[in-house]
Amino acid sequence: MANVLNSIVSNKSIYPNSGNNMPAYTIDTEGKVKPLEYKGKLLPSRIIGSPIEYVKDLKKDVVSIGKAAKGEANDHELGRINDLAMKLGSLGLASYLFVKNPLKLSKAMEFAGFGTFFAAMSLWPKIAIQAPLKARTGVDIHQKYIDTQGRKKMLYQDPQYVLTDLYTKEDLEKLGDKLKVSKDIPDRDNFTKQRAQKVALQGNTLWMMTAGFASPLMSALGCNVLEKPIGAAIENLDMLTSERALNSGNYQGFFGKIKQKFADRSFARFIEKNANRALDDSLIKQLRNRITANSSFDQLGDAVVEELKLLREKSSSVDLNFVKNALKGIVPENVFESMSPEAAEALNQSISEGSFDHIAKIVSGVVHTKPGNKQKKLRETIIKQLNNYQSENSPALSEVSKSVKKLYEGVAEFSKGENALNRFINSRVGNKSGSFVAKQYDRFGNSLMKSLGFNMKELRAIANGNINIFTERLEAVAKNPEQYDRAVRNLAQLTDKYEQVTGKQFIETVKSKSGEIYSGASENMRKNGFKIIAEKISSGAENEAGTMKNFVNSEAKRNGLGAKSSFYRVLQNFDIFNRAAQKTDTGMNLLKNQLEQAMINNGAGCDSATLQKLEEACKRILLTGNANTHTEKLAELSDIEYKAVMDVLFGEKSSGIKESLTRTLGNEKSNAFMKNFNEYLGEFKTKVANWQNGMTANLSRRVHSPIDNAGKISNGIERNNIIGQETKDLVQDMAKKMYNSKKWLHIFGGAMAVLTAVTLVAGLMIGRKGETEKQVEMESRKDG
Amino acid sequence: MVYIAGVQSRINNSAPLSFKKKEDKKGACENKDELLYKARKNHPVTLGLKIQANKLKNAFTTYPIKGLEGSKNSNFYEFLTMGMVPYLIGSGAMIAVFNAASAFFDTQSAVNASKIGKKMGLGVLFYGVAKTLSKKLIETPVNLKYGIDVNLPYKKVINELPEKRNKDDLVSYEYHKAYESVDFPRWDLFYNNKDFGENRNDYYLKVGKKMGFNNEDLEHADQKVKPVIKEKVIKTRLFSTLSSYLWAATGVGIASQKPWENFVINPSKRFFNFKNSLINAKKAKEAGNIIAKNDNFVKDFAKTFAKSTKEFVKGHNKSTGIAGKILLSSAICMTLLGNFSTLFDFNKYKGNKIQASASIIDENKNKVVC
Repeated sequence: MANVLNSIVSNKSIYPNSGNNMPAYTIDTEGKVKPLEYKGKLLPSRIIGSPIEYVKDLKKDVVSIGKAAKGEANDHELGRINDLAMKLGSLGLASYLFVKNPLKLSKAMEFAGFGTFFAAMSLWPKIAIQAPLKARTGVDIHQKYIDTQGRKKMLYQDPQYVLTDLYTKEDLEKLGDKLKVSKDIPDRDNFTKQRAQKVALQGNTLWMMTAGFASPLMSALGCNVLEKPIGAAIENLDMLTSERALNSGNYQGFFGKIKQKFADRSFARFIEKNANRALDDSLIKQLRNRITANSSFDQLGDAVVEELKLLREKSSSVDLNFVKNALKGIVPENVFESMSPEAAEALNQSISEGSFDHIAKIVSGVVHTKPGNKQKKLRETIIKQLNNYQSENSPALSEVSKSVKKLYEGVAEFSKGENALNRFINSRVGNKSGSFVAKQYDRFGNSLMKSLGFNMKELRAIANGNINIFTERLEAVAKNPEQYDRAVRNLAQLTDKYEQVTGKQFIETVKSKSGEIYSGASENMRKNGFKIIAEKISSGAENEAGTMKNFVNSEAKRNGLGAKSSFYRVLQNFDIFNRAAQKTDTGMNLLKNQLEQAMINNGAGCDSATLQKLEEACKRILLTGNANTHTEKLAELSDIEYKAVMDVLFGEKSSGIKESLTRTLGNEKSNAFMKNFNEYLGEFKTKVANWQNGMTANLSRRVHSPIDNAGKISNGIERNNIIGQETKDLVQDMAKKMYNSKKWLHIFGGAMAVLTAVTLVAGLMIGRKGETEKQVEMESRKDG
Repeated sequence: MVYIAGVQSRINNSAPLSFKKKEDKKGACENKDELLYKARKNHPVTLGLKIQANKLKNAFTTYPIKGLEGSKNSNFYEFLTMGMVPYLIGSGAMIAVFNAASAFFDTQSAVNASKIGKKMGLGVLFYGVAKTLSKKLIETPVNLKYGIDVNLPYKKVINELPEKRNKDDLVSYEYHKAYESVDFPRWDLFYNNKDFGENRNDYYLKVGKKMGFNNEDLEHADQKVKPVIKEKVIKTRLFSTLSSYLWAATGVGIASQKPWENFVINPSKRFFNFKNSLINAKKAKEAGNIIAKNDNFVKDFAKTFAKSTKEFVKGHNKSTGIAGKILLSSAICMTLLGNFSTLFDFNKYKGNKIQASASIIDENKNKVVC
C-alpha cells in the first residue's frame, strides 16, 4: 500500500482527467495502480445459524473488544460489539431477575424471555419476509457475504452499495428467471441486479415496519407456549432430584456442600473474632441467627437461645455475692443479713440450683412480708435484674466456644436432613406455585372446564359468579353417557395420579425419613447435652406432640389432603347429577329414590316436596358446602333429613362413579380407584358428617361439635381439608384463569395473526414489475 | 470510477447526473455539508430535539414510502433511521403485551396484572432512558477535556437522482454525526471552519492543545491530532456502548422493585389533580383551614424511584442484594473504566512519534476532499 501511495505522490496527482470537473491533481494511473484482488464471497443462507460459526464470530468479537480498548477497531467491529453488548446486557438482566424471582418457573422464564426475544428478532424477518420472498423472487434479502478482510455483512444492507458482482453468471441467470426478467434484452444481468436490489430494499423496509410489532408479540407468545413444558420439566426434575437426595443420603448436593463449607468457615471466623466478647443477649442473638441460618423452623432458633443461655448460666458462678451485687439499689442493703435462718438457707439452696425464680421469691418475701401486688412486682423486677446482671457479667465466648461449636455442628447436620426432607415434601405438596399439588390442581381444573366445554362468554360469566351456567352444563353432560364417561375418566385419572404421588406411600416415606432424620438428630443432641433442642426436635413419645417431627409429618399429610378432597368432591358432583339424570322403574330419578330410601331407613317418611328439597340440598352441599354448613347440619334441614342426605352422599352405596370407570378403564383400574375414593368417603363420614354420635347425643341442638367415632373433637384444619374447596370456588377460580389466559391469547395471538397476514400480503406486492420497468425493458430491447 | 465533487455515480445507473433545482434550493455544486457546531453549542437541547424530530418524521413517513417503492435514492442512512420505528413501536408493543389485556379482566385480576404490567412498562422506559443518558457519562468528559464531541452533528446535502415521484426536488438533507464512522470521519468539515477560527487547522490545533501537545509538535496539527481523535472516538464508543447496556439492565432492575406496585401512573391526570389541589390549598389557606396534601407526581415519582433503588441495592435477601450490587457496580465500574481509558493517554502521542510529512500535501494548492 505504501508503494502505491508513494507512486501516486511522486506523480503529484490522484484523479483521472474528467473534463470540466477536473480536480487540482491529475495522474496517469494507466498500468500503475490496480485494485487488490477481491476474495469476498456469498455465504449460504440458513434460518438458524451454525453454532460453530456463532462461536467463531464470538471469538472475533471478543478480540474486537480488545482492539477497541486500544482504540484500534473499525466501524464493522464496533457495530458487532454493540450487538454483543446488547445480548450481554440482556443476559445480565435475565440473571438478576433469575436471582430475584423466588420461584423456579419464574427463574427459568426469565431466560426463556431473553431467548425468545432475540429469537423473535432474528426469526420474524426470516420466516415472514425473507423466506416467502426468496421462494417467489429468488432474492434472499438477508443474503450475507464475507469480504476480503473476513467481515460478514448483509449484501443488501446499503442499497447504494450492493456487491452484486459476487453473484456468478449462472446465479444471475437463475435469479433473472425467477424475477421474470425478459430473456431477450441485451443487458439482462444488469436488469436482474437492479431488480434484485429493488426487491431487497422493499423487503428490508417491510422488515423495519413490522419488526416493532412482531418481536414483542412473538416473544410473549413464545413464552406462553414454553411456560407449560418448562413448568412440567421443573416439576418433574424437582420431584426426582429431591427423592434421589433423600434416598441417597447425599442431602446437600454439590452446591449445597460448597455453601455449607463457606458457612462453616464463616462461623469459625465469627467465633474466633468474638472470642473475648461476653456471651450477652446480643451475642446470643447473633449466634442464634448464624446457627439456625439454614433451618426452616423458628422454634429451633428459640431452642438454640435457651441452650446458649443455659451454657452461660452453667459457666457463670451464681453465688451470694452475685445476688447481692445484682440487686444493689433494688432491695435494701441489709436484707440479706436481716433474713431469718430458714430464709437464708432456702436462698442458699436456690443459689446453688441457679434458679432466679426461687431467689426472687425468697428475697421479695423478705422485703414485703405480705403477699400482694408489691411483692409480685418486686419479684418480677428481681428476676429481670438478675438476668440483666448475668447478661452484663457473662463469661467470654471463648469459655464456652467448644460447646457452641458442637451445637452449631449438631444443628447444621440436622438442617441438612431437614432441608432435604422439606424439599421432598414441598416438591409434592408444597403450598407454592410449581409444586406437584399446584400443577395437578391446574390440570384437574382445566380438564373439568374442558370437559364441560365453556365458551369465552360463559367463562366470563362464571368468573363473575354466575355459577348456574356451570350447574346447567353439568346437568347436560350428566345426561349424555359419552360425555359423562369421558369427563369422569379424565378427572378420575388425574385424581388417581394425585393419590399415587401424595397418597399413603408418600406419607409413609415422610414418616420413615423423619424417623431417621429427626429422631437421629434428637438422639445426637441429647448425647451432646443439648436436651432442650433434642426435645423440640423429637421427644420420642408416641404422639410426638408439639415436636418438629410431628409438625413435618402432619404438614405432609395435611397439605395434600385439601386438593385431594376437592378433586373427589368434583367427582361427587358428577355422580349426584348423573343419579339425578337416571330414571328408576317408578319414574322417580335415582337420587330421589335413594333419598326416599334413606329417609325410610332413618325411620321417617317423606313427600315429593321434601324429596325435591333434599335433592337440591345434595347438590348445594357439594357445590357450596363448607365447614360451617356441616357444623350447622344445613340449617333448613331437620336432623333426620341431614342424616339422609349424608347417607346418600357418603354412604356405602353412594358412588355411581364405579360403573362409569368400569366402562372406560376396566374393572381392575376402577376397583383400585374406588378403594381410595371409598376411603375418602369413610374419612368424611367419620370426621365431618359424624351423624352417628352427633345425632344421638344432641338431637335438639342445631350446632353439633365435630366429634369423631373415638369421641374426640377433630382438628378444625383437618376438617376443612377433608371438606375440600367449594366446587363453586374451584370452578370460579378456573374460569377466571382460563378467561384471562384465553383473552390475552385472543388479543395478542390475533394481533400476531393479523400482522403476519398483512406482512405476507405486502410481501406479495414486492418484486412485481412496475410500468416504468416494463417500459425500460422494452426500450432496452429496441436499443439492443 | 468517476468522482465528481464527492458524488459517486454508480456504474449501473442509467440515469444521467443532471440536476434540476427549485429556486429556493441550491444546486449540487453550491450545496455544502454543514457542521452544526455553533448551533449545538448555543442550543444543544433544541438542536438535538429538532434533529430527532426530523429523523422521526422521516422514519415514519418519507423513508418507508421510498423504501417500499424501491426508490433508487434510498440509502443506508434511511435504513438506519428507520431503525427508530421498530425501537419505538417495539417499546410500545412490549408495554401493551403486559397491560392491554387487563382492561378485560375482573377487578382483582386486573389489579394483579397491573402490578406486573406497571413494572414492565416502567422497565421499558427506564431501559431507554438509562441507555441514552449513561452514554453522556463518558462522552461529556471527553468533550470537556479534549473538545471532541463524538455526537457533533452535521447536515448532509444529498443530491438525489430523478425518478417518477421526484423530478424537481432533487436535494434532500440528512443529519449525521461527524464522527459516526471511525473509518471515515468527516475530517474535511473541520478544515477552514470559521466556527473554530480563521486558520485552516484551528480545530485540530485547539484539540491538540487540549491534549497537551507542545506548540512545536502542532505545526501540522491535523495530522498529529487525527489519529488521537480517532482513538478517543473508538474508546468512547466502546465504553459508552458497553456501559449503556449495563445501565439499561440496572434501570430495568430498579423498575422491577416492589414500591412501583403502588405507584399510580397517569402523569397528565395527576398533574391536573396537582394543579387543582394547589388552587384548593390556596383557598384553604386563605380560609384558615388545614391544607390537604398535594398529589405531586414528580415528588412521588422521585420518592418511589429512591425507594426502589434502595431495595434494588439492598435486596429482599442476601442473594438479591448481591445480584443488585453486582449489576449496579458493574455499570459504575464500566463507566469509570471508560472515563479512565479515554481521559488518560499516558503520553502515548506526545512527542514526535507521528511525523507530519510536509512532502505529502502542498498546503499552498487548492484541494478537493471527498
